[in-house]
Amino acid sequence: MPSPLKNLALTILLALAVPVRAQTGGELHFCLHGEPKTFNPILVDDEASENVRYLTGGVLIRLNRQTQALEPALSTSWKISRDRRTITFHLRKGIHFSDGTPFSSEDVAHTMRLLMDPETHSPTGDAFRSGEGTAQVQTPASDVAVITFPAPIAGLERLFDQVAVLSAHSPKKEMAVLGPFYVADYKAGSYVLLQKNPNYWRHDAQGHALPYIDSVRLDIQRNRDIELLRFRRGELQLINRLDAEQFERLQRENPAVTRNAGTGLDAEELWFNQSPAAPLPASKKSWFGMTEFRKAISMAINREDLCRVVYAGYAKPAYGPVSPSNHFWFNAHLEDPKYDPQGALRLLAQAGFRLDNDTLKDRAGNRVEFTVVTNSGNAAREKIATMIQQDLSQVGIKVNVVTLDFPSLIERMTRTFDYEACILGLVNTDLDPNGQMNVWLSSGENHQWNPSQKSPATAWEAEIDKVMREQATAPTEKERKAKFDRVQQIAAEQQPFIYLINKDVLLAVSPSVGGVAPVVLEPWGLWNVDTLRLGPAPELGAQE
Amino acid sequence: MLAAVCILGGLLSASLVRFSPGYGADERELDPRFSQASVEAIRNSHRLNAGLLSYYGRYLAGAVHGDFGSSEWLQRPISSLIKERFPVTAKSVLLGVLLAWFVALAVSLAGVFFRGFYFDISTTLASGVLIALPAAVVAIFSVYLRAPVFVAIAVVTFPKLFRYLRNLLNHAYSQPYILAARARGISRAKILFHHVLPLASPALFALLGVSLAVAFGAAIPIEALCDSPGVGQLAWQAALNRDLPLIMNLTLLVTLITVAANMLANIAHEGAL
Amino acid sequence: MNTPKLRVICASVLCAIFVVGLFAGTVSPYPYAKQFRERPNAAPSSTHLLGTDSLGRDLFARLIYGTRVSLLLAPAAALLATLLAGIFGGLAGLVGGWCEKFILAATDLSMAIPLLFVLLALRALLPLDISPVLSVIATFALLGLLGWPSSLRVVWAATKNLRNCDFLLLARATGCGRWRMIVRHLLPNLRPVLFAQFWISIPVFVLTEATLSMLGLGVIEPLPSWGNLLRGLEDISAVTANPWRLTPLFLLALVVICFQLILPAQEETA
Repeated sequence: MPSPLKNLALTILLALAVPVRAQTGGELHFCLHGEPKTFNPILVDDEASENVRYLTGGVLIRLNRQTQALEPALSTSWKISRDRRTITFHLRKGIHFSDGTPFSSEDVAHTMRLLMDPETHSPTGDAFRSGEGTAQVQTPASDVAVITFPAPIAGLERLFDQVAVLSAHSPKKEMAVLGPFYVADYKAGSYVLLQKNPNYWRHDAQGHALPYIDSVRLDIQRNRDIELLRFRRGELQLINRLDAEQFERLQRENPAVTRNAGTGLDAEELWFNQSPAAPLPASKKSWFGMTEFRKAISMAINREDLCRVVYAGYAKPAYGPVSPSNHFWFNAHLEDPKYDPQGALRLLAQAGFRLDNDTLKDRAGNRVEFTVVTNSGNAAREKIATMIQQDLSQVGIKVNVVTLDFPSLIERMTRTFDYEACILGLVNTDLDPNGQMNVWLSSGENHQWNPSQKSPATAWEAEIDKVMREQATAPTEKERKAKFDRVQQIAAEQQPFIYLINKDVLLAVSPSVGGVAPVVLEPWGLWNVDTLRLGPAPELGAQE
Repeated sequence: MLAAVCILGGLLSASLVRFSPGYGADERELDPRFSQASVEAIRNSHRLNAGLLSYYGRYLAGAVHGDFGSSEWLQRPISSLIKERFPVTAKSVLLGVLLAWFVALAVSLAGVFFRGFYFDISTTLASGVLIALPAAVVAIFSVYLRAPVFVAIAVVTFPKLFRYLRNLLNHAYSQPYILAARARGISRAKILFHHVLPLASPALFALLGVSLAVAFGAAIPIEALCDSPGVGQLAWQAALNRDLPLIMNLTLLVTLITVAANMLANIAHEGAL
Repeated sequence: MNTPKLRVICASVLCAIFVVGLFAGTVSPYPYAKQFRERPNAAPSSTHLLGTDSLGRDLFARLIYGTRVSLLLAPAAALLATLLAGIFGGLAGLVGGWCEKFILAATDLSMAIPLLFVLLALRALLPLDISPVLSVIATFALLGLLGWPSSLRVVWAATKNLRNCDFLLLARATGCGRWRMIVRHLLPNLRPVLFAQFWISIPVFVLTEATLSMLGLGVIEPLPSWGNLLRGLEDISAVTANPWRLTPLFLLALVVICFQLILPAQEETA
């Protein structure tokens, strides 16, 4: 063989032997499950906008979704003063917004000013509000920002993970961003198109500019069945948070595309209305106020069955407010109560209830019966309610299930208090318990079982109030943890919320997407979007 | 008359929304990150439109100048929302109604001409299955089969239309004078166009208006499920979010269309006579 | 098509379904709410003829009990809606003038107004724990009361047309009384339209009931209905994997078709 030809053959051989390196570029395509209400990162509240903010916003400190540790982002380092009121950031130099405007400490000052403006009503900003007054920002140099808050804030640096920095000078206002992508096009009700930000600050180890992907197309698609259908056809490359049932079916067809990130942070919970303003008969109010009654209900619910039947095994029984996936804050010393209907009956008997011909009656002879409400359109919750209905019939309690549309439900929960028990999953986006302050303080709006109390109705609620406040001001994380462990213990003893399950975070990822490492924290499969790569897209799912 | 009915419809629906449970309740109230002051502010933002009479007044005053208010939920002017989405829905509804009429007319005329047992029984079976399908299922099937939205609308509208049409035509053909005409050997086309259609025309024209209303009704769940960015999807979201100004304007629009379609049908009918 | 044989077959199919629904308690192998948690989503077998649903409830039992709920009440609601459409549509067509204008405007309005909010308000007025039977009856009464507007226009147009027909003019000229005219001449001619309305309303009401149950009205868990069984079809990949889930659809279609085949037959014999 003549040598040039031989060389050619060798080259071809080499080219075939070395795995084709996934190229840069391409368009990642997936769905938002609702209309993004705003592109202004300060006002973000809903999940769709939150997704867009994560993909477009640049932050000073990033919480690594995998290690749950904080990492420098737009700031190279930061320092918190001893009184935990002041944080000093050293900013990265030579960085520009997506439209070319240079980034400096003035932008940080501008962002904090907007964020902390009491008229803005930003959920992100409200998290910083620990005392009266506003935050002061000094900019001693163009790469140094010093922020001073009126009162100490527990877990202060973690909050900056949610603060996307806005430009003080760019004419494009909030559409000029520092994150990996910028919003290039948006058609209401249809899609959001993100383009690669050419000025994004991060580079990979070889010095290549990130992100690898050129654009991201987010279709607005509320129907999860249709989303799955389109994924199967290869039109979508990723589904965040699949239904357990869909996940199981997909796994049977094509296990290569399913990814289970593990037990998630969100819990589903049942609670009884203990508000004194509730228009309920006195007998019912007295049951719901009894610790034994709530504990007995909790014991009579078969959580293992809920996980197995409703979630096809992709969920874990939940017993407390913190998911075991929240490594630092989970109280591992609490005992898991077992499913024990007989024990529940004994507990009820102690509290004066008796079983009469398979129906439970209270001391006055009233039949124990209550109605559980939940929001309509959530199949899993409806199933949970139906299963609890059967579980509780084993201890002689009659449960009615009523589904209501969300606004009607919220009205009953927050204004008329006209309901007996409710099943909902209250969203938990923050690892830090400080984010749940409004849930645990008896004066809080989100203290759902008896909200906005003038003074704590029970001794245990008073203790939670005290411990929660101490937690927020304790000097070290370890002491804060000890305090919050106590809150978890009280919650387990009193069962104001009867926690039911923590569901797994389930994803579907096309094999064409390289580098996906799903995590249980929002945004699940996309947390490392800047290092994802797209290969050739194979048509998925032979059977259509 | 037309304007009065439309405005009445708008005002009625605004009152319905205002007094329906959950008006002013916002999902954001459940977010524990918000401070007390922010929750108050969210609640107050819904109180702006809570005084119905003053809302009507402001709305009518604005509408005169072409300002239809803005959506509470999307925080955008309603005129731009509708301008963006109406063409999408109008197109799919019109095409859907056209397709449904075409198929329904063709099938029912064929049924009259070839009075065959098997033809009749198979159309009965087909329309029976179609009418039993929930609109949501039709919507999902249309995505599954990659059919455009208007096909789904036609599939939902067709069986309802077909049933009326066939009964009307059958009835017309069984009239004694048409039997007589047929006995005299007058051609089928002549009978159809000179006797049957004029006889059935008022009901047919009424059906036209009704079928438009049915198609609009079907567009709401279908667009919401297929996430087609039309008025139907908007209406569904508006209802879920108790968006008073948006629902009021959408009702006005739908009333306008139904009333106008019916009026047009009447005029066309009277002109045809 | 209207051979007596076919009519007999249809009538007996309908009767059979009605009877099975009536005696659901004795026909059904299991209580409809019993959850066999060991075997959710089971395929059909000798123990579960149609398999089980996602909570392990026997689908055959649920179908039979659902038949009772839906099939006893949907035709009743359809009859009510047809009656209302017939009365008001006929009135508008016969009387004319302001009465006609008023009825038609009211119809247009009620077609355009989002009735969802009426239902929501109703839900808020009722106590949360109304008994299932009461809530089912209330639901279908509601459906009947709200379901008339779409057919009213057709009835009105047909009546109006008939009023000017030769034979009615003739009848009037020969001194035929108003009531006699309505009963003997008008009603028989309105029949095709009314039957179409009745026939169309049945499946519509069966399906709407499922939508209502999402608002906390209608049939509530664990009571089954055809409507909530049909809602299961929305999960298309589940249906392709378990084709027997289509049974409720076929049953509903069967009932609808049988009604359709019987009704015009009666028209001819009338």
